[in-house]
Amino acid sequence: MEPLLQAVLSGLLVGSVLALLSAGFGLVWGATGTINISHTAFSVAAAYLAYWLTSVGPWGFFLALIAAPLLAFALGVLTYRSIVRPAAVKVRDLGLVTLVSTLGIGVALENSLAAVWGPGPRVLSLAVAAEAISVFDVSLPVGTLLAASFAWLGLVALWFFLYRTYTGKAVRAVWQDPVGATLCGIDRDRVTDIAFGAATATAALAGVSMALIYAFSPAAYIEWLIWAFLIVIVGGVGSLLGTFIAGLLVGVVSTTVGLWVPFSWLPAILFAFLIGVVLWRPTGLFRI
Amino acid sequence: MIRVTRRTLLGTIKLVPLVALGGFSWGQGTRREPIRIGCTLPLTGPFADTGVWVQRGYEFWAEDVNARGGLLGRPVEMRILDDASSVERATSLLERLITVDKVDLILGGYPGTSAAAQMLVAERYRKIYISMGGHMASFSRGFKYSFGAPPLMGEWWYNGVWKWLATIRPADRPKRAAAITLNNAIGQAVRQNMLEGLKSLGIPLVMDELYTLPLPSAEPLVQKAKAAGAELFIANGFFGDGVQTVRAMKALDYNPKLFLQGVGSLIPEWVKELGSDGNYVVSGTAIHHRLPNRGMARLVRAAKQRFGFDEPPQYFLFGYAWAQALESAVEGSKSLRDDDLVAYLRSSTIETVAGKLRFDEKGLPEPYEYATQVINGKVELIWPLSARTATPVYPKPSWK
Repeated sequence: MEPLLQAVLSGLLVGSVLALLSAGFGLVWGATGTINISHTAFSVAAAYLAYWLTSVGPWGFFLALIAAPLLAFALGVLTYRSIVRPAAVKVRDLGLVTLVSTLGIGVALENSLAAVWGPGPRVLSLAVAAEAISVFDVSLPVGTLLAASFAWLGLVALWFFLYRTYTGKAVRAVWQDPVGATLCGIDRDRVTDIAFGAATATAALAGVSMALIYAFSPAAYIEWLIWAFLIVIVGGVGSLLGTFIAGLLVGVVSTTVGLWVPFSWLPAILFAFLIGVVLWRPTGLFRI
Repeated sequence: MIRVTRRTLLGTIKLVPLVALGGFSWGQGTRREPIRIGCTLPLTGPFADTGVWVQRGYEFWAEDVNARGGLLGRPVEMRILDDASSVERATSLLERLITVDKVDLILGGYPGTSAAAQMLVAERYRKIYISMGGHMASFSRGFKYSFGAPPLMGEWWYNGVWKWLATIRPADRPKRAAAITLNNAIGQAVRQNMLEGLKSLGIPLVMDELYTLPLPSAEPLVQKAKAAGAELFIANGFFGDGVQTVRAMKALDYNPKLFLQGVGSLIPEWVKELGSDGNYVVSGTAIHHRLPNRGMARLVRAAKQRFGFDEPPQYFLFGYAWAQALESAVEGSKSLRDDDLVAYLRSSTIETVAGKLRFDEKGLPEPYEYATQVINGKVELIWPLSARTATPVYPKPSWK
């Protein structure tokens, strides 16, 4: 029982962080049709910001928690206005063009980080995060607990924005019916700017949280992107609830699979699950 | 008044092309066309952290050799292309270096997957290729032009660890082992060595799990090893997954007598980023900055001045050693013809900072037997005894 409880709790915590990492990726994909490859590159950039600020002082980490999303929001809006949208308006194949242009942004960010920090891996060391607490004979690393807490905060904030604010509702309206939303007088450009900014802000918060669990390097965004793709496709493109549940599912499956079958089966199980979902419900598990 | 006769005029005209030709060849001689050496390395992408150190090793060697008068009296010019950590780019760029840029010589790439693929290209174009190789599988294909000088051999990786463990009283040795292995070429090669080593020592392997990257959490794997009561925990992985493993071990308060970590613990970031949590990890190595090999101390001093580190990274030494092996082949055979260089390396013992190397028909030197342990933030050599730099800490102290 103890190993199962340990594995499930670990999976729920890690899955929450992966859900936040994926939430913005799915939001932008749903609301603007942009497959933003650079999404997790912003997460990695935020992880570096947290690493740098933490090296200045322990308060630096908490400053990064606030500064990284704010900075990322501004950068997200700027990136969308200056690169993604101008490229997208000129073509009909929005997915392909935005995929290529955001890949370019991702590579540029990766190289910028490598130029400043070097290509080597980094580990964020927060003294309190190195401890562990025991609950019912289950040990939970404080770093992972903190990361999951920030992820829940981020997901709740995103939910509040999407479901309780006028702009958020407009974002959902554009996602559900772009033409209808425009006919209702919604300024699509403004809404998509904000959606991209909000998504980038969640990516940054996720990056700071991920840094508490994982080592990272400028190239780590590709690995992180794999999770985002998997979770968003399973959960449903643009669905916050779907992304959250898919994140938890992926987390729990990843940590419990080794209890019953060889751990090496994990990728096969996860991607078989993905294929099954795509065949059964091509739009993902959720559409709300 | 000087009279110009028809004969002197004709004679002068005849001399002009001779003088011109003579002047041209004299100019060529003094200009000393550089020897161009080409290679590809991952300077961006997931393997860039290691690739840049190989690059620095190559460039440091080139500066070194040029300061000593060059190769065969000609300066050396490195042409290093970024393959962006892609095997496909590594092979196509190497082909371009050989066929379009027409470099005189080539050097090895990184990581093992790229090196193994480039060995095929080198063989096709009959170019000598000195690199780390892609473990035993790549050296067992009957290639003529490939040499590991030294190679990075997963199949030899823990040889020194097993030798050292054999010196510990059987009653004090770990009673059972658990292993987690990154399911790729290097992980599988190291696992092969692990299986043979454990068998030779009679230590039963009670857990043997494989994983792929990205690894969402190392906790279930570590938990399983702890539950199995393994006193020897072996994590055959890289840096990122190695960090996750250490963090999970600490969180779960798992304290095996001995913790072996594949290759992640040998890069400088292990000590720098993990701090005291990175201590007491045991691993193998193919080269070490404190080996008493000719030229090593001088190289370490010079590199320290240049880069400011106390311990030069392993891949810096690798890059330097591979280039040195090429230098030995060129200077030994007094030729730039690849077949001459191959013939020289097949029949001679060469000396590099990695030690004296004599190659077999596979292009491999004698298996190495080094074991390392991170002690007080330094990667110390604990085996062989003749090169030991610190006494091993065994059993591993509990997590603080």
